[in-house]
Parts: sequence; structure tokens; C-alpha cells
Amino acid sequence: MKKRRLAAGFMAAAMVIGTLAGCGGGSSSGGSSSGDSTTAAPAETTTAAPVQAEVKEATGEDVTLKVALWDYSNTEYYKTMINAFQEKYPNITVEVVEFTADEYDNVVVTQLSGKQDFDVVFTKGTPALSALIKQGHIYALDDLLAADPDFDPEKYSGLVDQLSLDGHTYALPFRYDNNLIFYNKDLFDAAGVPYPEDGMTMAEYHELASKMTSGEGNDKVYGTHVHTWPSNVYQYPNRTEKFVFCDPTTYESLIPYYNEIIAMQDEGVVQDYGALKSSNIHYSGVFYNQQVAMLQIGTWYINMLCENVKDFNWGVCAMPNDDGMANENSIGGVTPVSIGAYAKHPAEAWQFISYVCGEESAKVLASCGIVPGYSSEAVGEIFDGLHDTYPNAPEGLSKYLSCEKNVMEQPMHAQNKEIDTIMQEQHSAIMTKSVSVEEGVQQLIDRVNEILE
Amino acid sequence: MGKANNTEKTVSKNALKRRKTLVAYSFILPNLIGFFVFTFVPIVCSLLLSFCEWDSGNPIKFVGLENFIYMFSRDGSFWISLKNTLYYTIVTVPVTMALSLFLAILMNKPLKGRVFFRSVLFFPYVASLVAIAVVWMALFNPDRGPINGLLMAIGISNPPRWAASTTWAMPTIIGLTVWKGMGYYMIVYLAALQGVSRDLYEAASLDGANKWQQFMNITWPCVTPTTFYILVLLMVSTFKSYDTMYITTQGGPGEATKVLAYHIYNSAFVSSKFGYASALAMILLLIIVAVTLVQFKFEKRFTSYL
Repeated sequence: MKKRRLAAGFMAAAMVIGTLAGCGGGSSSGGSSSGDSTTAAPAETTTAAPVQAEVKEATGEDVTLKVALWDYSNTEYYKTMINAFQEKYPNITVEVVEFTADEYDNVVVTQLSGKQDFDVVFTKGTPALSALIKQGHIYALDDLLAADPDFDPEKYSGLVDQLSLDGHTYALPFRYDNNLIFYNKDLFDAAGVPYPEDGMTMAEYHELASKMTSGEGNDKVYGTHVHTWPSNVYQYPNRTEKFVFCDPTTYESLIPYYNEIIAMQDEGVVQDYGALKSSNIHYSGVFYNQQVAMLQIGTWYINMLCENVKDFNWGVCAMPNDDGMANENSIGGVTPVSIGAYAKHPAEAWQFISYVCGEESAKVLASCGIVPGYSSEAVGEIFDGLHDTYPNAPEGLSKYLSCEKNVMEQPMHAQNKEIDTIMQEQHSAIMTKSVSVEEGVQQLIDRVNEILE
Repeated sequence: MGKANNTEKTVSKNALKRRKTLVAYSFILPNLIGFFVFTFVPIVCSLLLSFCEWDSGNPIKFVGLENFIYMFSRDGSFWISLKNTLYYTIVTVPVTMALSLFLAILMNKPLKGRVFFRSVLFFPYVASLVAIAVVWMALFNPDRGPINGLLMAIGISNPPRWAASTTWAMPTIIGLTVWKGMGYYMIVYLAALQGVSRDLYEAASLDGANKWQQFMNITWPCVTPTTFYILVLLMVSTFKSYDTMYITTQGGPGEATKVLAYHIYNSAFVSSKFGYASALAMILLLIIVAVTLVQFKFEKRFTSYL
């Protein structure tokens, strides 16, 4: 009996020790991450001054940079770019840490909360970046930007400003992908229908898609394709600035666009959302296989089309809208690159970031059909010349890549990621007609208001 | 605890006992250490975190009961996911049990090719959930799936839209869960059935009992311990499951298949609200513990068959 009590006491002690060791470590790590250089700032996170990356001369010593990335092993341009960087800075070795693309954002949060010493952190977009900033996992770059004489924010057509939160800049734009209508020229020629043009209304777009729909069963060609993301609907009013991602008062602008797209779905002009989701159908395949005449998707698709399409010609035009806009605005998202808050070599990390977001790397990206965040005439010329290397690509692509105004589809906002989750849930409810459009949008407004309170 | 004395002559009864206890503890120690480090400590941390606010970066902030107040008063998704979890569990558990018992009884008969059928039924359990889910979703594709093709062929002009409809999404997922799990529970039942003495059936048939009477009075009472075991296992596994939804519907359409565990995953790893997610996890834990305790309380009454 006595012994049992002793054993129980021993176990209880072990539990307590285990608990203290486990949780104590957690809380102290949390404490040091946000507070070390800002002494006076209270723990109220959003108002605290951010930790600035230290401005230090790169020493030129041999260092290894840890770079967190996705899709590294299946894309060529990362390798080309990193090789070129290492040639320029022979003392720096780049060690790529690759995570799966689907779960990248979530994995990086987990890694950084374990204080992983990534020097460079790529993020998939502004929601993930905003969250990392809010959590103190990312250095602010203001001091570095100010100290680097070679850095010119003008070269990024306003994107650097759009990557700032509460007046601080945390990332440079590696890529900027806006959204366009891609179309299959051969299908339009065969049907004798004129190509889609900039400045279509939604009704005209719908009509055009109806004309291009033909066939039955497995041979059916759909007029256009609406992929399953919420952005495949909200980008239309987003481009004309009627819709703003983190402002629920603008959400009613979605209603006519949802109505139009659901009408297209009902008429069988586009594939049904539920069927696409159930079969996990990717937008790329249906366009490659000429099962759709048009497709609304981002400019990253240019690179995929160049590499995969040899048997038909394709073209692009601006997205339709009901506000009379031709090609003045573009709507899209940025791939930001930042310095991790636990970086061992921030100075070299800055060299890396300013290189991959700079002119030399921009040319590498452009020649693969990828739109860099850095814009210059040289980049535009490379895109205009893509037709020479890839004869199926259209001429004059640069017109769609340098618009007067780049609208950020998800502006920097601390609660972006949560809004995104709600947006996806409501989108699936509306698109499967589980709720009416008005009801679904009203629920969206209510739910987003709820978390913004 | 001191070392056991190894000079044989002085070994007292007590020391021997102590030594035996130590040996016994040393056998469970590896498992116990694993349990402590990977289960117990995280659970306690999670309990503490449930009273805090933590986004993985900023310092942990104690907020008292705020997470729970928010959960019960303002988080609509919590109530929806709780309702979905109950729906999922209450349908999945009895259906799986009934089907697996039925199959086990069939497979227990000297059926031609029963080894083949057993393997076929067991296969979904062994196969990867991802592969199974893809196949299931293809079968139930609302426009091009063979199931709806069949339904239309027999004259149902408006078949359910399965995973693409808020009404049918949950039944579709329940079907997948049952299909995947029943093979395993069938094997468990099969083992129990083979333990039932043939004599009982012989005696019963001599007394003129029909098949149904035999089932109700012999088979069912004899397998109740197994039924109880399966009930507990199934309950716990359905309460905490979210992988199937994650792969197939991502909780949609709308929030139709969002279960509590999925809400926890979303809160923690998508919204980085680790404190709130821990609070949700505590509620889920409480529910599971309560249900299991109730089951154990009734175990005696339920399984006393002789």
C-alpha cells in the first residue's frame, strides 16, 4: 500500500516536471521572440513596434543561408536563380528547405513557432504573410530598405507599399500574378466566333461562353471554366475596386457576379462546381485538353502553357466586368519574400532577397514566362518576345502585365487568413446552391463582421 | 527506490515483492515514457493553453474563461461543428456495427469462396484513406459518377448531388467511413463468433428455435463483450476523426461536414489561434471522456450474458 502511494507520488512529480518543462519552454520562447529589441513596447502585439532586421555589412565570410520554399524540386527557375546568386556571391551557400505546396503556409507557421532559423522565408501570399507578421515571426525591413542605396522601390510599381502593414515593410515582391481570361484561339477560329476582348460586360462574356459551348458527354467543350476558388468570382468586382477583401461593406458587389456565374453553371456553359470539387479537377488539364474555350486564371499559367501546350494557339484578354473597365487595372497577388525573425545571417539574407527580387533575377523569371514583382522595360520585352521561343503564345503580352494600377486581391490585414477560411466556406455553399446568393453573401458579411469586431 | 538486495539468504518477502514490482514497472516503462512525453504532457499543456491566448509567436496571455465564453456565446461554427460531430457519430457507429456483425455472420458460414470475400471486405480498411476517398468521390460524382448514372438509369431523374449538396454531403462521408471501417470490425466480430460454442445452436434447434431466435438468444448475448469493445473504439474514433472530411470536402459545402476536430485544426493551424483551439479540444476531450465513462458504467449490465 505504502509503496503504491510512493509510486503514485513519483508519477505525480514526474507529471508536474514534465508539464513545467513542456509548457515553460513554450512560454519563454514566446516571450523572447517579440520583445528583444523593443524594450518599452507592451505585449499588446499589434501596436508594438516591429523588430527590425539589423543593418549590418555582409562580412563576406562563408555562410549558409536557409531558405524556406515550396515547389523547389519541380520548378526550374528557382534553381537557375539560386545558381546565378551563388555565382555572384561565392561565399554564400543556399540551403533550400522545401515543404509541400498545399500545406506550406501552415507548416511554416509551425516551424517558425519552433524558432526555426530560416534566413529567408517565401510566403504564398498576403494572408500568410500578415499572419506571420502578427505573430512576430518576420523581421521588418524598413531600416534595410533605407540603408541600401541600390534599392529602388519605384521599380515595383507600388507593390512594396502594398506589402506593408501598419506603416512597416516586411517583404519584397518576388512575383506578381494578375488574373486574365485565357482563350483557345483554335477553338474560336473553328467556331467562327470572334476572340474575347478587353472590357466585356459579364452578360457579353456569358453570351460568348454560350456560343462556344458544344458537344455532349465526353466530347463536350465548355464555353469557359470557373475554377473552385472564391477568388475566381470575387476578382471580377475586385479588379474594379467595388469589392475589397477585408471590408464586408463591399461584399454586396459580389451578388450580380455570383448570379451570372451560377446561371452559366445551370445552363451547362461551365462545369459544375460540385463536380469539379468531387473529382478534384484542376483548371490546367481541361484547358490543355481543349475541353474549355476560355479560362479565368492567374498569369502563372503563362509559364505552364509555354511548357505544356504545343498543339493549339492561345491568347489572353482582360477580365470582364460591369463597370466599363478595359485594361486599366489588374487584379492579382504577390509572392512575398521576407527575413525570418530567427535568422542567423540577416545581412546575407537581404543580399539574397534583393537579388531574387531584383533586375537580374527578374529577367530569368520572365524568360520562363513568370511575371516578376520587379518591372522594367527589359522584362516587358522578354514577355513580348515569348512568342518567338514559344510559337503558341500570343504577341504583345506585356500590355497585360504592366497596367496603370495593380490592385492587391488580398490587402495586408491581420485577419486575412480567417477571412479567407470563411470566404471559402461561404463560396462552396453558394456555388453548390445550398443557400441562395443573397443569403450566402449576407452570411459572409455577418461572419466576417463577427471576426473583425 | 533502493536496489534490491541480492544476497539470497537475506531476501525477505518484502524485498522480493519490491523486486517483482520493479521488474513489472520496467516492462511498462518504455511505453509509459512515450505516453508521458507525447501524450500526457501535450494534453496538460493544451489544458493550460485553453485558458490563454497564443498565436505561436507572441507571448502567451492568460485570458481566463474568455475562450470558452466566446465558444459558447459567439462562435456559430462551434455549434454547427458540434451538431455535425454528433450527427456523424450517431449514424456512423450503429450502422458500422450492424453491417460488420451482419457480414461476420455471413462470413462465418461455410460459404464458397469466403476467404476471397473476407479479403475483399477487409481491403478498404488496409488501403490508404486518400486512395479510398478519391475512389469514393469519383463513384459519387454528382454529374459523371456511376452511382448517379445508375440512379438515372432506373428512372430517378433528380438523384442526390452527394458531396456537392449540404443535405447529402454528410451521408456521403458517413458511407465512406462505414465502408472503410466495416471490414476491420467484421474480423473482430468473426473472432467472437468463432468462440461461440456450436453446442448452443444445436441445443436451440432441437428445442425448435428459428434463426432469428437463435440470433437474439445465443449469438447476440455471446458477442456483447465484443460489441462493447467495438462501441467504445468506434465512438472515440468517430468523435476525433476529421481526416476524411479534410481529404474529401474540406468541411463543405458551406459548413455541412465541418466536425469539431476539423474546427480545431482550422483554428490552430489555419487561423493560428492555438489557445482557442485548445479550448475546443478540451470540450471534445470532455465529451469523449463523458461518453466513455457512461459506456463503462453500463458495461457490467450490458455484457452479463451468462
